[in-house]
Amino acid sequence: MASGATRAAKSAVPNAADAGPLLDVQGVTIQYKTQRHLVTATYRVGFQVLQGDRFVVLGPSGCGKSTLLKAVGGYLQPTEGEIRLKGELIARPGPDRIMVFQEFDQLLPWKTVLENVAFPLKTTGTLSGKAAQERAMDYIQMVNLTKFAQSYPHTLSGGMKQRVAIARGMAMEPDILLMDEPFAALDALTRVRMQDELLALWDEIQFTVLFVTHSIPEAIKIGSRILLLSPHPGQVKAEINSVPRGQESSDEGAALGREIHEMLFADQIEEAPHARYGATAEHLQRNAGAGTIRHHPEAADAG
Amino acid sequence: MLAGAWEIYGRWLDNPLLVPPFSAAVKALVADVADGTIPTRALSSIQVLLVGFATGTTLAGLLTVFAISTRIGTDFLETMTAMFNPLPAIALLPLALIWFGLGAGSLVFVLVHSVMWAVALNTLAGFRGVSTTVRMVGRNYNLKGLRFVGRILIPAAFPSILAGLKIGWAFAWRTLIAAELIFGVSSGQGGLGWYIFESKNQLNIPEVFAGLLTIILIGLAVENVVFRFIETRTVQRWGMQS
Repeated sequence: MASGATRAAKSAVPNAADAGPLLDVQGVTIQYKTQRHLVTATYRVGFQVLQGDRFVVLGPSGCGKSTLLKAVGGYLQPTEGEIRLKGELIARPGPDRIMVFQEFDQLLPWKTVLENVAFPLKTTGTLSGKAAQERAMDYIQMVNLTKFAQSYPHTLSGGMKQRVAIARGMAMEPDILLMDEPFAALDALTRVRMQDELLALWDEIQFTVLFVTHSIPEAIKIGSRILLLSPHPGQVKAEINSVPRGQESSDEGAALGREIHEMLFADQIEEAPHARYGATAEHLQRNAGAGTIRHHPEAADAG
Repeated sequence: MLAGAWEIYGRWLDNPLLVPPFSAAVKALVADVADGTIPTRALSSIQVLLVGFATGTTLAGLLTVFAISTRIGTDFLETMTAMFNPLPAIALLPLALIWFGLGAGSLVFVLVHSVMWAVALNTLAGFRGVSTTVRMVGRNYNLKGLRFVGRILIPAAFPSILAGLKIGWAFAWRTLIAAELIFGVSSGQGGLGWYIFESKNQLNIPEVFAGLLTIILIGLAVENVVFRFIETRTVQRWGMQS
């Protein structure tokens, strides 16, 4: 417990030395082939995630947000553009970016909760033997599952499984935690509780998280910054600073929710000539660090 | 019930050369177990069986790993299983006798053949059934190649693999007894099949039944003790039963 706290304090200190963004996504187009078509999942998407951000990618289904997350995870290579983590080009999956999936079967059913959390620590050689067990126990305790450390995943509820997955991801202390709609398969009550717990964990350790969701309230609640994507193909519509923590049900939060809703559903982006979108990434960079709501003119005037 | 019916029929028929009563079979069984005939015969069968089973399983494992890592491997395995799965292993015995001579070698050869395809087929199906999520989780932790197979694919596909092993075992056991009936001399000592064959030649029909009972008992024991034990320790505990 004590060791967990010290580590928490340590990782809370941001890497002040490198002023650049932790994750830099620039003009990323991802295409994949189905049997008949070449599908463009995202088109020249760019954004930057800073250390300690709770960065939410929000968009309706078909906006390529999960695909984008997989590309950050290194499972897909962008057709165009580049993704850099700490300045390094992402080429393959790696334990510096741990994914938390929506599916409950992401836990290895043949391992207990403790073994599941310790597994990545051991296989990647981060820690071994007792040290791995201890760190795993620390994080299991943080998600309040100490009693279930020796249980097998199939005996746990959906919410508990997702907590184990989060603990497993966080125990690796990755540069960035990639969460792909982790609460989407949970019932509404559990989902709210999990959101609260995730925020509480973030208060404890200011980890960086890239969180994908299609739920506007969830985005406003979880995110410190929100990237709006429009569908077919996924394009950046706006990048927004969320309301302060705990304000999501205030007037301000409600107003933001309405605004996002309007932006997502009011206007449909037309297929535009490529040249118009070339400016997106550049524009984003120019505005990086700027205040409240930034509409992308390309996206805004399209409707 | 069955034993009673058998006993009554045996006594009513009163022809121990056709159907000896149940009690006679049991008596023969007890006598031959006591004097060590059946245990040594069974042991010799089981020894050959284990060698064949282990070799077959290992080869199946190698073949499947080869199959999932290369396109040629997949095609090879699919063609071979399609060809050999419908072929009863025992049909290869004459060939095996020419290649390996009278002895354990030939027995092992047919056993390997009977085990390998069933296990390989099930293992491959199991590997293919491993969910994308679990695969992605494995790759997330830098697991590649054989480590990926060993740490992710094999445990995740274990229910199928175990099913394959059970089928392989059943095939092997049948094949072995059949092969021994044809020729029993393996490493100087016949197995259970040979014991049955010999007893029949000497018109010791109760012994024939004793041999059959032994085969049934060993088959049941492996099925209900060994495999059940593995099952409760693995797939049942993991909640992975289909």
